[in-house]
Amino acid sequence: MTATAIQTPSGTHASAMDRARALGRLKFSDSGFRLMTMASALIVLILLLGVAIALFFGAWPAFHEFGINFFFSDAWSPPKEQFGAATAIYGTLVTSLIAMLIAVPVGLGIAVFLTELCWLPLRRPIGIAIELLAGIPSIIYGIWGVYYFRPVMQSYIQPFLINTLGNLPGIGFLFAGPPFGYGVLTAGLVLALMILPFITAVSRDVFDTVPTVLKEAAYGVGATTFEVVGNIVIPYTRVGVIGGVMLALGRALGETMAVTFVIGNATKIQTSILAQGTTISAMIANQFADADPGLFTSSLLALGFILFVITFLVLAVARWMLSRLELKA
Amino acid sequence: MSNEVNAPRPAKPPSANKDKVIVRGLNFYYGENHALKEVTLSLFEGQVTAFIGPSGCGKSTLLRVLNRMYDLYPGQRAEGEVLLDGENILSKGLDLNLLRSRVGMVFQKPTPFPMTIYDNIAFGVRLYEKLPKSEMDGRVESSLKRTALWNEVKDKLNASGLSLSGGQQQRLCIARTVAISPEVILFDEPTSALDPISTAKIEELLDELSGEYTIAIVTHNMQQAARVSHYTAFMYLGEMVEFNETNTVFTSPRDKRTQDYVTGRFG
Repeated sequence: MTATAIQTPSGTHASAMDRARALGRLKFSDSGFRLMTMASALIVLILLLGVAIALFFGAWPAFHEFGINFFFSDAWSPPKEQFGAATAIYGTLVTSLIAMLIAVPVGLGIAVFLTELCWLPLRRPIGIAIELLAGIPSIIYGIWGVYYFRPVMQSYIQPFLINTLGNLPGIGFLFAGPPFGYGVLTAGLVLALMILPFITAVSRDVFDTVPTVLKEAAYGVGATTFEVVGNIVIPYTRVGVIGGVMLALGRALGETMAVTFVIGNATKIQTSILAQGTTISAMIANQFADADPGLFTSSLLALGFILFVITFLVLAVARWMLSRLELKA
Repeated sequence: MSNEVNAPRPAKPPSANKDKVIVRGLNFYYGENHALKEVTLSLFEGQVTAFIGPSGCGKSTLLRVLNRMYDLYPGQRAEGEVLLDGENILSKGLDLNLLRSRVGMVFQKPTPFPMTIYDNIAFGVRLYEKLPKSEMDGRVESSLKRTALWNEVKDKLNASGLSLSGGQQQRLCIARTVAISPEVILFDEPTSALDPISTAKIEELLDELSGEYTIAIVTHNMQQAARVSHYTAFMYLGEMVEFNETNTVFTSPRDKRTQDYVTGRFG
């Protein structure tokens, strides 16, 4: 106590110099640190731009040869050098749509159950199981899809759909045709299972951020759990939920292995979702090894470029929706 | 806001008091923790009753029993009797949503719902009544007027409830509670997150609402209890130490612990 009180002026001076020296070092390391982090961030931009440019130049011969028709033609004939992206684009969009239609409500339902209703000791086991589901490599889903899921589809689910929904006027054509087991619907269902954990995990985490007192206030005016979830929890967390859904959609659009295994890899558009089809990534995975340099390879690269653009558009639309929501909130 | 204790308001003569809520031999447990011990008191119709006591004494717990908010959490349980107009609200088959429409609650922090100002009020009403648009407009307007918020928000009913200031948000929450015409309103430290001016407005509001509603308020602020309440319950370590007219509790308490607390010797 007394020692600090009678500190000599020279002592103060020396410590001030120490401090200045230390600050000087920090100043240098600080600017170095800033440079390093900035470089890391820039690398992402450069890589992204590089990928886009490389894909575009690789795809250019195909775009140049087929023009706008490349997007609308469902021709895919390597011997005749006729290529079109329509089948793959259609398959990609339809499988993703099926996956989202199933996985979004189910995923949100699981998240609501886990955060609002689940018996406490069960919460962690179910949560961990869902996280494990997200960690399974896609090839495993593919093998499971071929050996276990496809026979079930072929023997039970598809015949059932053909005999029931297939007879409905208006939408019957969607469920027409022989039950192959392989097909767009099978791929969509496997995809739904694969993206389910993303939607569940993200929405569970954001649901947990809703202040308890806000929920209590809603219960306090007499709302039921269903009303609290629908009117308070989901609106409060919509930005996060949409983020999770878009993450899942991004994964569904680009998923390759599992889809390649079960979709049947047919290069014609068919109206029935029970029929075989293909997606952009499945097409590339299947054919890239055999592709001759030239128009064939270029067309596959063009497919890749289109997938890149679709994914980018999905993200852009999501951002736009989020910014509108934030304005409203 | 002055620091001296304002003269406690006189309570109505006890003969005029009708029991709205009777709590009898109430015990409450958080798991193993015995938080309320044999609590007994009455809330009189149209009167303001303040619950005071040091932190952890169980006053908020008591409040949360009155609308069974504790039911949301497994492991919390209440034993004893809480009669609302003679009906035991602790009984198993009770419709909780209906109970909460009769016993409204305002929280420590303002809790506007993530929706427009209009919908914040209409939300609760829609849970119970199907009103045509014009009547709903009227209900929203009268609730906002009742809480002296109408002039401040009438031009932005479609703005988010979150865009209001803290004090306005709290009055919005009170308006929302009033809109479903409850019989009892519970206030859990309603001004502890507010500035003095907003606090004064809320206290004024409490004064206006009393008479029409039976009010219970938990507060840490003894001046506030003295200013707004007709009756005061002093709680300590889960026990109801003293319950009497506010005037009596503050000027001539019977229990030594009450005296020490209201004179600021502990707490």
